[in-house]
Amino acid sequence: MKKLGLLILSGFTLMLSGCSGINVLDPKSSTGKDQAYLIWLSLGIMALVLIVVFILFAYFVYKYRYSEARKDYEPVDVEGNRKLELTYTIIPVILLIILAVPTVRITMEQSPDTSASQKPEDGTTKIEVTGRQFEWEFKHENGASVKDELVLPEDEDIEFNLHSEDLIHSFWIPELAGKVDVFPNKELNYVIRDVERGEYEGKCAEFCGVQHTNMTFSVKVIGKEDYKAYINDLK
Amino acid sequence: MEISIFGFSISAPSDVIAAWISTVIMGGIITFYVVKTNKFPLIWSYLRTTNHRKIGTLYILFGFLFFSRAGLDALLIRLQLAVPNNEFWLFQFEKYDQLFTTHGTMMIFFAAMPMLLGLMNIVVPLQIGARDLAFPFLNAVGFWLFFAGALIFNFSFFLNSAPGIGWTGYAPLSTSIFTPDVNSDYYVFGVQVSGLGTIFTALNLIVTIIRHRAPGMKWFRMPLFTWATFVTAIMILLAFTVLAIALYLLMFDRMFGTKFFSGPDGDPVYWQHLFWIFGHPEVYILALPAFGIFSDIIPTFSGKRIFGYSAMVFSIVLIGFLSFTVWAHHMLTVGLGPLLNTFFAITTMTIAVPTGIKIFNWLFTLQGGLIRFTVPMLFSLGFIPSFVMGGVTGVMLSVSAADFQFHDSQFVVAHFHYVILASTILGIFAGIYYYYPKMMGLRLDETLGKWHFWLFLIGYHLTFFPMHITGLNGMPRRVFTYDPGDGLTVTNFMSTIGAFLMGAGILFFFWNIFKTHRENEPVSDDPWNGRTLEWTVPSPSPEETFDPMPVVEGMDPLWIVKKEGREMRTTTDHRSTPIARDSILPVLMALSLAALTFCMIYQWFIASAIFAVGLFALFIVRSFTDEKKEHYGKGEAS
Amino acid sequence: MEMNAKEAELFRDKQIGFFIYLGVEALMFLTLFVTYFIFTPSSEGPHPSEIFDAMTVTLSSIFLLSSSGMLYFSEKALSSDKKKSMLVWLGVTFLFAVIFMVFEISEFSHFVSEGYTTSTSSFLSSYYVLVGLHAAHVLFGCFWMGVLFIQRFLPQFPKTLYYEKFKIFSYYWHFVDLVWIFIILIVYLRYLI
Repeated sequence: MKKLGLLILSGFTLMLSGCSGINVLDPKSSTGKDQAYLIWLSLGIMALVLIVVFILFAYFVYKYRYSEARKDYEPVDVEGNRKLELTYTIIPVILLIILAVPTVRITMEQSPDTSASQKPEDGTTKIEVTGRQFEWEFKHENGASVKDELVLPEDEDIEFNLHSEDLIHSFWIPELAGKVDVFPNKELNYVIRDVERGEYEGKCAEFCGVQHTNMTFSVKVIGKEDYKAYINDLK
Repeated sequence: MEISIFGFSISAPSDVIAAWISTVIMGGIITFYVVKTNKFPLIWSYLRTTNHRKIGTLYILFGFLFFSRAGLDALLIRLQLAVPNNEFWLFQFEKYDQLFTTHGTMMIFFAAMPMLLGLMNIVVPLQIGARDLAFPFLNAVGFWLFFAGALIFNFSFFLNSAPGIGWTGYAPLSTSIFTPDVNSDYYVFGVQVSGLGTIFTALNLIVTIIRHRAPGMKWFRMPLFTWATFVTAIMILLAFTVLAIALYLLMFDRMFGTKFFSGPDGDPVYWQHLFWIFGHPEVYILALPAFGIFSDIIPTFSGKRIFGYSAMVFSIVLIGFLSFTVWAHHMLTVGLGPLLNTFFAITTMTIAVPTGIKIFNWLFTLQGGLIRFTVPMLFSLGFIPSFVMGGVTGVMLSVSAADFQFHDSQFVVAHFHYVILASTILGIFAGIYYYYPKMMGLRLDETLGKWHFWLFLIGYHLTFFPMHITGLNGMPRRVFTYDPGDGLTVTNFMSTIGAFLMGAGILFFFWNIFKTHRENEPVSDDPWNGRTLEWTVPSPSPEETFDPMPVVEGMDPLWIVKKEGREMRTTTDHRSTPIARDSILPVLMALSLAALTFCMIYQWFIASAIFAVGLFALFIVRSFTDEKKEHYGKGEAS
Repeated sequence: MEMNAKEAELFRDKQIGFFIYLGVEALMFLTLFVTYFIFTPSSEGPHPSEIFDAMTVTLSSIFLLSSSGMLYFSEKALSSDKKKSMLVWLGVTFLFAVIFMVFEISEFSHFVSEGYTTSTSSFLSSYYVLVGLHAAHVLFGCFWMGVLFIQRFLPQFPKTLYYEKFKIFSYYWHFVDLVWIFIILIVYLRYLI
């Protein structure tokens, strides 16, 4: 049991110390930051449960273990304890409610949907994403399209309209935000807000055939003026 | 690789050739052993048996065989992923896809399910005082159908046609547009045939538990493993039936050009709905029986009754019910819309509550007990913290917006291995160590068992804990390599080491079985100081148990009489027992169905029609030779 | 038909087991009904109202549904141990089932001759897998009746066991009829009115 405890502890330290280096926990968009916040919040709440269980477990296993001194001890049957059982029913419910409130708020805001916004608002850039075995095509607002290379303007909200030409793919830039599936029979819209300058890697996250592993694309977030110049050059 | 035999030239990849060679060698050794020790009568008796213990043993034997094969796949996966840009043997591209497909499908359908069904088969009748399952013949049919399905699925690899569509078989990748070869058909038919067997066995268990309990064995006196089995069996009936139809539709899409999952009106998401209406309950179908096993082992080795029995029963039922309301949490990124995403996030969170109740009840069973660290108990104790860690990430995954990041990444892989291994696999091992006396009349070696346990547990955490971080660093599932610059190298390498530690643990288990059987020291009826009815029958349990029939006077009936220092009360006034007679028909039925489906896979429709006629002929033979014939029509005098 | 206590208990086991099995079947059909509901009508291919023929549906329904009644008479005769009348009613049930199958096959072959196959549209896909599975059940029932027919002539076959087998078949047959009623309501009627 001690080995187990050590292992878990070292695992946690690794996770905590390394978090600045972990892509998903340090995302470069406000959408991704909301998601990372949820991850940290849920991990925090769940860590409480984890610690309580581990402490009780270690304590009980250690204290009530068989030993020469206790070998004649006769345990007393306990049927249960209504109050205690209610406690560990109600407390988890409360913890889950605490977790559910921000979950609902952020999910309602972020969930990909089939209805595209009609007019792009100010500060929103639309990108049409097409997935096919085994490449990505990105069409910018002025009609220019590029394969496997996505260039975005910084500090803008990016609305992706995604659709596939063959089977299901999934559009994922871990360093920016969460993924959304790409379907042949419907178009989905997903918004990533306030993307930050940098170079990232995008991938296909839904198994789509032999070259699934290599269905990646590069992502570059550049200054707004540079972006304008970039798409005009493509024309 | 190309091989030339008698002028025929066969070209096959080296992994397939290696599999053929090792199978032939293994087959040779087994045949030699069988001939030398003249095991034919034993094999013949097992082929024809309808006895619950023997069928349960067969389930576990073959389940473990397929577990080993799927485990080998896992090791190959880990070897390929050990270092960045690796090119291990052939396992990139299609071969890698086939590896993870086979690993997943076999582990779920042909390893975990049969080993659990085997334990249910052996233990449930003994726990409730039934002499056999309600329908012994059907029980044999159920087993052999599982066997036939597994045979079909395994055969694909030997023909270099293993499916490569993932165990989830997502359409449209699994339709004939994208995978026109027979590979995916092996998946469809293998799973379909064994699923049918699972449905029959579940039905059988339900009727047994409803109708064949010993006098005094009231519902709320049943051991928790029996309760878990009961709820699980009901879930199997619902979930596997939906799976059967999903596979039926996919079969039509693949072979007869229907347009459910592709085409202008076809909907790939419909497959996902059907699959996960099966798939999510399936997770609990795997977990609940394991919970049941732990709920029986922990009291035994704490010397104390289970804490909060009725809450335990209630939470099993509640988990079973809730498991049907959460399937779309596997589909949060498919664009169901904000409302449904939120709904399924909330329902998923609620499952944590009954699960939490169970965890704390186990903990409080330990409190005030006298904990004996036997091997079954070690597996049960290892389960508690490990499973809670998996549960924690489960709640994290239910947070739907966060799931946009987790989904289909290695984080999810880490999560479900955490929960399934902790519950199902540790549960199965706990169950096998605990019930080996009832299966074989022997007790497995404790020292080797401890080696097995510690290597497996440490390997398990070492494999899957780093995998969370691999996922958070952006590694998707089902990719066969990564770049050195992705920051995935260290964690992946740790996982590979861990996987081999688990493998080493399994080797100790093999050694343990070998050693135990060689030493062959008979064990008493009640080697663990048990509390329930199964420890009143001889080890191994004979074909005619419970004669005379015990009268159950409360929960933990054996413990009650032990406390009072007396024998169990018995009675001759009990219901009639199931009628059983050995029969070769179940094997023949399953084999003809296997032949039928094999011909279907290659679209030899005339041949499959012939086997269908053969199968129907076997039904007729069955009806005419019904074992009840000798027992019916005797008037009132019976 | 008098069963002794032991037989009655074992029969009850089988009855419960079979009812559960019918529950499984019901869920299968339910899933297929849902599938039909989702995929019909489809954007390509014919509209259901263009191809369904009220006459065929009515006639086949009359035969299949009344066969349940015929089976009931047969069951009555069996209970009062009238061998001949039981066999006659069972024969009529069988005949009606065969007539239903003829209608069914002619309907399918008519569709196919018009070019409406499983691959024409998702409506026809879901139609064929649902109605086809039901037809397979009727066909299986026909063979089952054949077995029951022969078993009645075997002298050494215990009467109580025969009764048990007959009862189980009757549950099956009534169930298959019940599914047909839902097929009429969900598959046909919506597009025939």
